[in-house]
Amino acid sequence: MTLRDLVLIRLGVAVNLVIGQVVAALLLPIYLDSVGTILVACLVGPRAAIAAGLVSQILSAVISGNFSWLPFAVVQIVIALYAWAAARLGLFRRLATAVPAGLGLGLVAASCSAPISYFVFGGVTAGGVTMVTTVLRALGAPLGVAVASASYATDLLDKAIACALVSAVLRSLPQTLAARFPALTR
Amino acid sequence: MTAVVTLEGVTFRYPGAAREALCGVSLGVAAGEIVALAGDAGAGTSTLLLVATGFAPRLVGGTLTGTRRLAGRCGIVFSRPWTQLTGLCSTVGDEVAFGPASLGLAREPVLASAGRAMERLGITHLATRDPAHLSGGELQRVVVASVLAMEPDLLALDDPAAELDPAGADALYALLPALAVGGMAILVATPDLERAASVATRAVVLAGGRVVADGPTHLLEGTGVAAIARAAGCPPPYPPDVPSLLRRVGR
Amino acid sequence: MIGYLAGRSPLHRAHPYTTLALAGGVLLIAFALTRPLEMWLLVAVAAVLAASGGREVLQSSARTALLLSLPIWALLFVLYGVLGTEPRIALGIMSLSAPGMARALVLGGRITAIVLGFLTALGTTSPHRLVEAMTASGVPFGRTFLLASTLTVLPRMRERARQILEAQQCRGLRIGGSPVARLRALGPLALPLILGALAEVDEQVLALDARGAGGAARRTALEAPPDSWPQRLLRGALLVAVVAAYGWKFWRMRG
Repeated sequence: MTLRDLVLIRLGVAVNLVIGQVVAALLLPIYLDSVGTILVACLVGPRAAIAAGLVSQILSAVISGNFSWLPFAVVQIVIALYAWAAARLGLFRRLATAVPAGLGLGLVAASCSAPISYFVFGGVTAGGVTMVTTVLRALGAPLGVAVASASYATDLLDKAIACALVSAVLRSLPQTLAARFPALTR
Repeated sequence: MTAVVTLEGVTFRYPGAAREALCGVSLGVAAGEIVALAGDAGAGTSTLLLVATGFAPRLVGGTLTGTRRLAGRCGIVFSRPWTQLTGLCSTVGDEVAFGPASLGLAREPVLASAGRAMERLGITHLATRDPAHLSGGELQRVVVASVLAMEPDLLALDDPAAELDPAGADALYALLPALAVGGMAILVATPDLERAASVATRAVVLAGGRVVADGPTHLLEGTGVAAIARAAGCPPPYPPDVPSLLRRVGR
Repeated sequence: MIGYLAGRSPLHRAHPYTTLALAGGVLLIAFALTRPLEMWLLVAVAAVLAASGGREVLQSSARTALLLSLPIWALLFVLYGVLGTEPRIALGIMSLSAPGMARALVLGGRITAIVLGFLTALGTTSPHRLVEAMTASGVPFGRTFLLASTLTVLPRMRERARQILEAQQCRGLRIGGSPVARLRALGPLALPLILGALAEVDEQVLALDARGAGGAARRTALEAPPDSWPQRLLRGALLVAVVAAYGWKFWRMRG
């Protein structure tokens, strides 16, 4: 990996970890903690995006103290690969294709995180998602269904908005800046 | 004098740019020279620094034609101190030592180079401080020391005092002649023509990516605010400073 | 942010790889254990580790582990204890699921042990010493750079995010209102942050390259932390313990 790749990965990780501050100020029920990973997938490529996702997962644990979520690193790899494939297909060129791509990413990410949440953590991980799980369980849903429903609902919204935001960033890049990223399909 | 860098008919275009950033530029900088680069925004002074030091097109992409001969190691200092920190070092001492350590030198020579560089910039007292807690001015001195610790043959500075207070800017520019005497070739691109003229041995003026003048430092009086003051009929110095303007108003 | 607390305890003086290996060992073994008694033995081990880091580290790790674990414990209690399956144990006016409570004890103990282990490692490992250890052992520059330098750039990026928020609000951006209105405000806040960071990439790359970062030569570690054979032996023993724990788990699953 070149120095440029490393600096871009670092940027992606920093975006993943800081964008939550923006989201919190707006009181939106999303995390957007994959925006940086998706962006790096578009600007550099799959290996760099995987690195961004994994480092984000580790540093997020370092900052929050909750290291038990490290098994979710697998989901970061899936997100990176999906985002790269979507970028290669040019899905981030327009909002009309970026949002459905995000919904697809949400489906895929939730399909990976729900089993991890269920089998490894018994369905109890983050507050918000687990609250939804608990409510569904109290209403009589089997635990597996409750965990999956909560994961899907939050991930669909979160990833759709993340992909829309990345699309907006790529479309806003000045021509000379965009030309610095050979992996970018315009 | 030995030429550290020689450019002959160099043309450079950034990736995706509509026109060339440098057009047929020929320039040589010898050891011990301090060359001030002047020009309006978009003239190509920053690009010339990147091309002369070999960082363009290697790190920024683009296409370069013409001949470039570069002998020795290059260092570059930008105007924003924060973007130039490695982020890996928790003390100023470590930050300054990072460059020589990256060259794989043994521990003692690394620490000696770092110590000399900090002494030159007068920041030895900051050695144990965290760079994250320094002021902009102090940080820029750390950055310059970090580059000097690698003992470059060619030092390029891109508006290095932009974020410094006047005293800090004076101190930074005052350092350059001592470095040149030690054999370093120095290229400084700056809109601060007064300070540049006070230390430079030569001036190169660019416009639209071409060299329009290359000679003694009084050429700097033909650019920017200095040119406006001269055209308006103001008496020297050029560019005019506040005391001289006040004296004129008071007359 | 959880951080390093200076001290002179055995953990502070140990090689950073040893403290991280201890935390990593607790993490891996925690995912191998499935019974409440075993899990809480591991929690006790993690607590002993925290204690060996000194009083300040123990207090800080325990307090943070408690703060992080309590919401999870509460949810586990409801999800598994209250809403769990038969057989149930009567406790006054309510009944709790017996297998549910056993599972809750395992899951809760797992999180508590892992968090306690890593908080102890973080509290006793100075970032500078870890970077030096990684440099001395020849870890590729990229890995050290990504893990260490990202933490350094975060405060500046957070500050910039705050400044952008203030600047946009001065220009009339409203961050309250309906969910759609709040979603619309995301662009003006996030785009300048990301685009501004992208615009600085060139300068950062140039500055790093000029300082020899990522070059062919192996970077000199200026203060490599000393390692010792007992520590290497301990790290090896931890690896054996992890393998044994998973062997035990899979043997029990078969039997």
